[in-house]
Amino acid sequence: MAVSETDSASVRVKPKERFDFFHDERVRSIFYQLLTAGTVGWLAWYLITTTAHNLEVRGMNTGFGFLTATAGFDTDFKLIEYEPGIGTYRRIFFIGVLNTLLISFFAIIASTVLGFFVGILRLSSNWLVARLALVYVEILRNTPLLMQIIFWYVAVFSILPRVKNSIDLSGGAEVVFLNNRGLYAASPVPGDLFWMTIVAFVAAVIGVFFLSRWAHKRQDLTGQVFPTFSASMGLLIVVPGIAYLATGSPLDWDIPSLQGFNFKGGVSLPPAFLALLVALTFYHAAHLAEAVRAGILSVDTGQSDAALSIGLKQNRVLALVIIPQAMRAIVPPLISNCMNVVKNSSLAVAIGYSDVVALFMQTALNQAGYAVEMVGMTMAFYMTVSLSISGLLNIYNKRVQLVER
Amino acid sequence: MVVVRTQPTSSRTAPLSETTVIGWLHKNLFSTVLNAVLTLICLYIIYVVVKGLWIWGVADAVWVAKDRRECFDISIDGACWAGVIQWIDNIFYGRYPRTELWRVNLGGLLLVLWMAPLWLPRVRAKIFIGLSTVFLYPFLAGYLFAGGDKSLFMQVMVTLAMVCLAGNTAHAIIGVSSGRGLPDTLLRWLGKDQAPEATQRNTLLVLLAAALAVGYALQTGWTEEVVPWSKWGGMFLTLVISGIGIATALPGGIILALGRRSKMPVIRVMSTAFIELFRSVPLITVLFMATTMFPLFMPEGFVLNKLVQVIIAVSLFSACYMAETVRAGLQAIPRGQYEAAHTIGLGYWGMMGLIVMPQALKHMIPNIVGSFIGLLKDTTLVSIIGLFDILGMLRSVSQDVPWRGLHKEPLLFGAVVFFVVCSVMSKYSRHLEVKLSAGAKR
Repeated sequence: MAVSETDSASVRVKPKERFDFFHDERVRSIFYQLLTAGTVGWLAWYLITTTAHNLEVRGMNTGFGFLTATAGFDTDFKLIEYEPGIGTYRRIFFIGVLNTLLISFFAIIASTVLGFFVGILRLSSNWLVARLALVYVEILRNTPLLMQIIFWYVAVFSILPRVKNSIDLSGGAEVVFLNNRGLYAASPVPGDLFWMTIVAFVAAVIGVFFLSRWAHKRQDLTGQVFPTFSASMGLLIVVPGIAYLATGSPLDWDIPSLQGFNFKGGVSLPPAFLALLVALTFYHAAHLAEAVRAGILSVDTGQSDAALSIGLKQNRVLALVIIPQAMRAIVPPLISNCMNVVKNSSLAVAIGYSDVVALFMQTALNQAGYAVEMVGMTMAFYMTVSLSISGLLNIYNKRVQLVER
Repeated sequence: MVVVRTQPTSSRTAPLSETTVIGWLHKNLFSTVLNAVLTLICLYIIYVVVKGLWIWGVADAVWVAKDRRECFDISIDGACWAGVIQWIDNIFYGRYPRTELWRVNLGGLLLVLWMAPLWLPRVRAKIFIGLSTVFLYPFLAGYLFAGGDKSLFMQVMVTLAMVCLAGNTAHAIIGVSSGRGLPDTLLRWLGKDQAPEATQRNTLLVLLAAALAVGYALQTGWTEEVVPWSKWGGMFLTLVISGIGIATALPGGIILALGRRSKMPVIRVMSTAFIELFRSVPLITVLFMATTMFPLFMPEGFVLNKLVQVIIAVSLFSACYMAETVRAGLQAIPRGQYEAAHTIGLGYWGMMGLIVMPQALKHMIPNIVGSFIGLLKDTTLVSIIGLFDILGMLRSVSQDVPWRGLHKEPLLFGAVVFFVVCSVMSKYSRHLEVKLSAGAKR
């Protein structure tokens, strides 16, 4: 009875669904979307036709044919072979891309290491150390990066001693020199049997992998802790070392030597590279330090109390309890830091390091035109790098975050 | 036997480590051997750095000289601040005509006057004051800085801005002294505070119309000499670019963020693509794009000057970063707020404009200040594409014949200027963060 009553009541109360064209949510939604798509489409069409018309009027060439044309200018720093007048614009693009990736790679590693170091110093129980770290962070974060880059370039690396009075950074061994033309260092030249050492190293890495698995298993079963870290370090040094010595030390060094007005041999890095590397490292380390500090502070003090109370030693508490949890908060800023390093390396253009912007977007564009294509290619490169870095680290981030549940 | 304590035990004195200097030193600097060593190393670093800077920058520095050679003659190892001092006007104002500098200063003063009520207690309608700063002040300041003939649009905007500024100021003075708003007070004076609502509204509209007419008459008589944009420079130009950048980034960022959170797939995809595109490339590439490609986008015979190109690029770029700030602010608003707004029958814009955005914006203020600091620093990039902002001016000191090769001192001076401006702002934003979150925590 009661059931049928409520049923009939609900049927009576239920309003009649009348389709109102102007007030229907779906109709409106489709209308707004069509409107937006139409506006954006029209804008794109307008820009494309205007650009095409302007390009035609000005007699500018279009298309990607220029990539196979030869470029007539040289670059002072390149990782792949290139001769002006023979090399193509495609090669110029790749030189720029490689140079950007090279500086970003070193700056990311250096700034991550320094950032963690300074972030931990910020939390030091020593008042003076914590204050000094704070001063470092504040100064670096509150001045423009471009100003810092230019400062390092014009006020430090450009006024180093001349080639003849180079500073010997290796302390008398004469293998690493620093002067106003850059850094010159000995480069390794592998001999015939050097591959044996590499094979031994790879074997050692695989060994370490299995060793740590075995150690984990043994700890789970018996509770005994195996000194995995020192054992792996020993393995990584001893095995390749024996292989290296057994094959008769097949590694020579190409030592830079003063010939005429400059050093010959070895590897050399221009002052602009050094200035950019130092500036990017210091600037991004300051940003990362704050993230590291916030990450460590985000771990509840109860965690370390609990870890100490079950008898873990101070260093094990840090390694097993604090750092794994802090990493959850540190990884997202770490991702954006890596991306920012890659993006900020484009400031190289201000001091003349031949990265992709300076080489391709500025020099090549001024030489050959093709504004649309060159700007597009450069932006596409940065987008690819940014999206793949964020993709890769997001995967890691997901794995770390999952531990929470 | 039962012992009952009738008096509280006297409190123990604080431990020595909390009260004496020696105790503090022992606890914070010399608690272990390692700490003691670290302290000594730090003291040595501080000693070397401070002593070096003092000798170079102050003790041996040259403050008055006519060129760099004279600096060297007076002191070979000291800083040559004379060059910076001689260029100080250029560093702050660029090549703006020296007789017209008052216009730049007045523009700054008007901004302070306009925004001051935001910090005064008992002043109402602060949202309106904030919005008018973003939407009207730029036109008044723009005319003040650029000068020349006013188009009809500019005449209207300048009139509105002048009336708004006068109204704001009167409103703030009345607010501080009596706690009432300007409209209330005007109605009281005219004896119409008891009149029906329609009469009150009509009276106010008449007053506004009269004020606009007076303002329009005033501004027709006001013309300034033209100062072409190419003469703008120094810190002034940096502030103009980053100020316009942040003022346009805010509405743009709100629209993009709403678009990204929209339920309509086309709008969401387009907003997301736009935001991610600009966020994944460096600002310098956007600036290069602006200078090389914008001229191609324009119809024939229409030329954008470089400053406008740069401002458009900076605005687009910062709007995308602002969008992410706004999105984070929107995400912090609990779902219940959206649902409650729907329940009382508000539509999408009513819900966003009246319920969600006011709460979200309040929480975003610290981050918006942070974005402004970032933009101010990033604006130095325009020196790469040939505008003479503060960094461009600092670098041209070393190109000036008498001061050729003077790099370090101008750059350090600029760094100090930025450091002061940026750290004051970031301190303030941290203070705001604490102040604004105090109410939310209960």
